[in-house]
Amino acid sequence: MKVSLKWLQTYFDAPLPSAEDIALAYTFHSFEIDEMQGDLLDVKVLPNRAADCLSHRGLAKELSAILNVPLENDPLRDPLPEHAEGHLLRVGIEDPKKCLRYMGALVRGVKVGPSPAWLKEALEAVGQRSINNVVDATNYVMLNIGQPLHAFDAAKLVQKDGVYAIGVRSAKEGEKIATLSGEEYGLSPHIQLITDAHTDTPIALAGVKGGKAAELTEETSDIIVESANFDGTTTRRAAQALKLFTDASARFQNRPSPELAAYGMRDVLALIISIAGGEVAGVTDVYPVREEVARVAVSHARINSLLGSAFTIAEIEEVFRRLGLAATVQNDVFTVTPPFERTDLVIPEDLVEEVGRIIGYDKLAPQMLPALATTADQNRFRGMERMKDQLVAQGFIEVSTQSFARKGDVVLANPLDKNMPALRTSLEANLNDALVRANYVAPLVLPPNQKPKLFEVGTVFPKEGEFVELRMTERVPAWGENFPTVDNLSVAKLEDYGRDYQPVKHELGAYQPFSVYPFVARDISMWITDSPEARGVVLKIFGKNGGGILQQVQLLDQFTNKEGRQSLAFRLIFQSFKRTLTDEEVNTLMADIASALSAEGFQVR
Amino acid sequence: MNQEGRLHPISIAIREIADIFGRMGFGIAYGPEMEDEWHNFTALNVPEDHPARDMQDTFWLKPASGEFARPDSSDESGVGIQGEQGNVLRTHTTSVTMRKLEEMAKTGATEMRMINPGKVFRNEATDMTHEAQFYQLDGFAVGPAGSVTLAHLKGTFDAFYREYFGPNTKVRFRPSFFGFTEPSVEIDVWFEPAGKEGKWLETAGAGMLHPNVLRNAGLDPEKVQGFAFGGGLERLLMVKYGIPDVRLFHSGDIRFNYAFDADTK
Repeated sequence: MKVSLKWLQTYFDAPLPSAEDIALAYTFHSFEIDEMQGDLLDVKVLPNRAADCLSHRGLAKELSAILNVPLENDPLRDPLPEHAEGHLLRVGIEDPKKCLRYMGALVRGVKVGPSPAWLKEALEAVGQRSINNVVDATNYVMLNIGQPLHAFDAAKLVQKDGVYAIGVRSAKEGEKIATLSGEEYGLSPHIQLITDAHTDTPIALAGVKGGKAAELTEETSDIIVESANFDGTTTRRAAQALKLFTDASARFQNRPSPELAAYGMRDVLALIISIAGGEVAGVTDVYPVREEVARVAVSHARINSLLGSAFTIAEIEEVFRRLGLAATVQNDVFTVTPPFERTDLVIPEDLVEEVGRIIGYDKLAPQMLPALATTADQNRFRGMERMKDQLVAQGFIEVSTQSFARKGDVVLANPLDKNMPALRTSLEANLNDALVRANYVAPLVLPPNQKPKLFEVGTVFPKEGEFVELRMTERVPAWGENFPTVDNLSVAKLEDYGRDYQPVKHELGAYQPFSVYPFVARDISMWITDSPEARGVVLKIFGKNGGGILQQVQLLDQFTNKEGRQSLAFRLIFQSFKRTLTDEEVNTLMADIASALSAEGFQVR
Repeated sequence: MNQEGRLHPISIAIREIADIFGRMGFGIAYGPEMEDEWHNFTALNVPEDHPARDMQDTFWLKPASGEFARPDSSDESGVGIQGEQGNVLRTHTTSVTMRKLEEMAKTGATEMRMINPGKVFRNEATDMTHEAQFYQLDGFAVGPAGSVTLAHLKGTFDAFYREYFGPNTKVRFRPSFFGFTEPSVEIDVWFEPAGKEGKWLETAGAGMLHPNVLRNAGLDPEKVQGFAFGGGLERLLMVKYGIPDVRLFHSGDIRFNYAFDADTK
């Protein structure tokens, strides 16, 4: 939710603290801040608060509670006006589970035109584009109090006996609609439509976007304003199916209270009339089931026993007062009547969270858990690690590979990679593949002439059911001739095996990136009068002539012949971090090295 | 004689973590990677129509026979068959917590502390910081009412990170939201990598187990309570050691094992 600090300030008499302090206040008491830029804060409203906090009013209320600064005005606490009944507009809802409330207002004689400067600026400050005064009014009120709104050109709807008719119904298979931006969408029955009920023509995607058919123009004079409440799941699925995610769908999918529709209607009508003129001919309100807000109670003891705190009754009352939760206290029990927009406050623990976060989790002193009577049971883990330690001692390297496979007994309904739709039935294929690659890279990481041996412990998914497999690329001599290269650890008695075992502890140093490009290994041997100094000279020659791509030097071999001459053989490994090396360039480097060695008196063999 | 082989860095990390948590009374629990909807979602208070259950977030398994019947909001066929339970690749090891809580209810235990390291799966495109399969370290501590609190969670993580990341570590909580905990917090840790400036890192989600979760396990939320936490393991290691790409972990490439400065015991 993009928030303008200037807009927030309209809720307070006292000047607000700096943007940094506001960001900190939200971060530690309400929501993370995604981005901060000048007057703009991008607040990552949590899912359970999206019903009331995808709005400047909701975030102002939060800030008021956190900073303990009263709201100068609160549109959701101001009274609702009595509108004239909407005899000129009929509304029909097909499924009250999918449209919980629909308010429609007929406004006559508006003049569609540019918005006043303050409105343009307010919208532009939060990254919205000004369209015209009526559309801007609907967007402004939505961003202000969270109620999505829409305005239709009444002249584009059919009137029968002087009455307009709006319908809310499921789309028909194959039905189509063109939206305001002009794209055409094919529809299916789980998408809800707003229609001109007289002709059954779609005029909007309910809760998502308006349609081209009843778009406002400069000629528009009479409008029908919609302030409705559409079911969260229905709206979310529709937006996903259409791949059309709008400010309206983002709000409805989080289930704002249907009560909010009346406040949205009040504010948008007032704003339209003040900036576009016109007169409200009537408001139709279809609200099939109005649910009462249930009270929530929590005891003083419960709050402190969950948080591990020692907050007093007075401190807790203060939190509820700041949040405007109208709490009463009796016999150490707080009873709260949440305001309608706080749809997230349902169980006692919800109130515990309010206390914890508003007072601040930094006020919780860390406590250590008391010791347990029994010791921690890590035997199974230790049994597994004991096997791994033995394998490592025998020279085996542990790898981890992907669980997805080309073929298998268990198949994914929605694979990420269509070529890997199944789950592995064994570690064998992955381990063989890893071994091929290990053999290739062995000169980079293992001593000369040491063959890599690998093992993996991982879950496999054969027909008979998943189990944890241990697999080695070859037999383990220490485990005897008969021990196979594969074992089912799910049935192994690892608990007994690990009971008194302490796994070996390793400590890793900083990570050093390795090149993903192929390496080239070349051997070179020379006659030398061996000494630490002479070897130093040789290494220096390698380094100086390695072209910046000599990654490793390994001593391969050393011997003294019958005549007492000494020979050293080295393996040089060349590899670039940026590209694949060519044979020619390595040949050139090797030639340079050979001549540099000769120049220093080492005879290359 | 060959030189020693090498453990995978994940194994090394889990040993270190298991050791620290072990000294605070935490055992180690395991559970299946192929999980039913109950243990992965429903019992954990994730609503039937929650976006996390969508096919674009979770890998669903094809039933052995018959048509697949989950809501697939990415195609237009819409809402699936209500009430039908499917199987998924677990999206978190909180499913193991659920299984252990059910075990507590069965045996009548009122106290348990566990960490659950294990592989989890998310249906998301992979890049340097995202993998469709990764390890998670979940855990929980449950005890008689009033005995395990959010302050204990803070103390536990304070102690854990001080040992794991070093003595200059600090822990802070921020408000968050998870279906299975209430209150919910995000755990940040102040980490100073050698030779670099310190910074706050978001490392785990946590909170007090939601009463619905305890009830779903067959426990009485009036009698027992506890905290739960979970976070990605690779991410922790990437921060600790400066590993640039999460895809290195499960590539089966032995160079990864040897890419650390020194392996000392």
